[in-house]
Amino acid sequence: MAFMDENGHYESKFEYPLWTLIKKIADKKDISYSEASQEAILEYGKGIRYRDEAYYKMEVDKRNNEILAARGRPH
Amino acid sequence: MAKTTEKIIETDVLVVGGGIAGCPAAYKAAEKGLKVTLVEKSKTERSGSAGQGIDHHSGTFPRGMTPAAFNEQIKGVTRYTGERGFDPNIRYILHAARDWSIAELEKMGVPMRWDDGKFMVIDVAFHGGWPVLHVHWQNVKPIMAKAVKKMGVNVLDRTMVVDLLTNKGRVVGATAINSRTGEFIIIKAKTVILATAKCARIFDSETPLPWKYKFNFHWCPASVSGDGWAMAYRAGAELASLEQSGKGSRIRDDKALSWGNFRGWGVEGKSTNWKGEEGRSGTPSGGPPSGAQRSGAPGAAPEARPAPPKTEGGVPPAPPDPNREAANSPKYNTLAHIPDDFKKRTEVAYVDERMVSMVISQERGFDFRSHYFELQEDNRPMQLHQPCGVFVGSDFQTRVKGLYAIGDTVYGVHNVALAATNGFIVGDRMPEIIKNTPEPVLDMAQVESQRQVAMASTQVKDGTNPVELEASIRYACTRYVGGQKAEGKLREGIRRLGSLKREFLPKLQGDNPHFQMRSLEVRNLMDIAELHMLASLERKESRFDHTRLDYPKQDPALDNMVIVQRLENGKPVTEFRKLPELDMNQKPDPAWC
Repeated sequence: MAFMDENGHYESKFEYPLWTLIKKIADKKDISYSEASQEAILEYGKGIRYRDEAYYKMEVDKRNNEILAARGRPH
Repeated sequence: MAKTTEKIIETDVLVVGGGIAGCPAAYKAAEKGLKVTLVEKSKTERSGSAGQGIDHHSGTFPRGMTPAAFNEQIKGVTRYTGERGFDPNIRYILHAARDWSIAELEKMGVPMRWDDGKFMVIDVAFHGGWPVLHVHWQNVKPIMAKAVKKMGVNVLDRTMVVDLLTNKGRVVGATAINSRTGEFIIIKAKTVILATAKCARIFDSETPLPWKYKFNFHWCPASVSGDGWAMAYRAGAELASLEQSGKGSRIRDDKALSWGNFRGWGVEGKSTNWKGEEGRSGTPSGGPPSGAQRSGAPGAAPEARPAPPKTEGGVPPAPPDPNREAANSPKYNTLAHIPDDFKKRTEVAYVDERMVSMVISQERGFDFRSHYFELQEDNRPMQLHQPCGVFVGSDFQTRVKGLYAIGDTVYGVHNVALAATNGFIVGDRMPEIIKNTPEPVLDMAQVESQRQVAMASTQVKDGTNPVELEASIRYACTRYVGGQKAEGKLREGIRRLGSLKREFLPKLQGDNPHFQMRSLEVRNLMDIAELHMLASLERKESRFDHTRLDYPKQDPALDNMVIVQRLENGKPVTEFRKLPELDMNQKPDPAWC
């Protein structure tokens, strides 16, 4: 987990994968980033397990248990 | 010199504000065959809190839910017993119509389903356990703007209303200026619907400024200057709860995390203070994970939310000591530990709700996936928010006949879902309302008086930049009201504000139409700031977002009592009023539920 570097700035430049996809679609189709984002989100969303309820429950419960264990009190 | 050519528009319904409440209202009224004019200070395509997009449509409840069940669900949250205060009947009506509102939004072309036709629903831990629609509404405003125009609404962008026109206690229209041409416009209307959101520009420079490109307050954008409140007040309507200035953590670094989805996933951020001590996280991940039901569909029965804890005598526990909180500041939150899948979801939520903010953060080298972001817990006010607004009845009419208010403009109403629902409901009712409305008759003396106000700043030479006076108003509110109020400071603040008003308001210089508009905004901010100070002085207790150092406890005698303010004989009147009780016998309108 990074704080600012010794020069008082954050790490070197990066690009979010979703933003890279938005730019790619916008350049390819010669459309605005807003228009491209609509298509990019649907494409990127395919890689996200939104509707896998078992997975969601497992991940959230795992995180919940970690937090409760760290705090040592019942919820 | 701005043009002064008149333009008179006649319309059945005038909607002031083209945001997430105003567009549905205009759309619905026009769909019903009425002549509708929508006036928007900026540009409808990207105006208002939803201008950059929205990632969540907050909650719904089962169709046909009774008032008693609703009351049970929201008890401990709805009344002035320690938390928010609003008319529960308004809330019930808006909640009851949400399923219908979702269908209406889809008719406008706003998407909210997966490819297989099911709603995109996420679980919610913080909105009382009700399921929330996870929506990809980056382009909700362009979609709404297009639908509104296609429905035949006369949309006047870049047009700011100066004041409402009234005649014998009834609204008959408004005057406005075009902020590009300076044209003075007269609008004659049978009814007026105010949809201008809250007020976010009377505190320090962290809150939206018109000259700073800030996107951290996308839910109170820089255009939100209390215009509807001020014009309603000057027309004779009442405003409520203006002592309640919203406070909270100020996110310094990445200001753009969308908490709509993230908090609903029940995953917390990690928090540390400046000493490196771990603790509970603040914004954006909020409170502990709850046992919220994972329903997967709108309308599923939610779990009851537990009532807040009480001390003896029914008085809620004192809020955290702000000095101790400030001593622990800054705090730092991180999401670096959350699963990759959730980091991707957060990226999507960014794009859905504030893509420009995401790009700005990216260009600064700030990566929410790995960096800490700084919060300041200093308890300073940020905006006049959820509890504040125009006082209306359960039909959303103000005490001025024919004048309605919807969405965030209304006291106790906030968020996209309620705003859009409110717009559809009032728009839908317009034909019935118009049927019984007499033809509007303008008072030309009043029109002329408003023309003088609109044009005054264009006549001033070597005057005051409106932005400077706005800065002084903000300074007065931050210094003399602030988050820790006391009688002496408030009285001094009222005196100083009065002095600013007398000396500088007449000197505002609007030497182009844009600054002419800014001058009118500052006039509105001045009125709202004065009412904020007077309301803060009147409430001699501490409750919710109003903290009095000289009255640090809650007064049980003021439970369920809201402060209401109006203009009488040119002077502000401030008084307490009991909040309405929930009508347990009401039945939702079958047209919507």
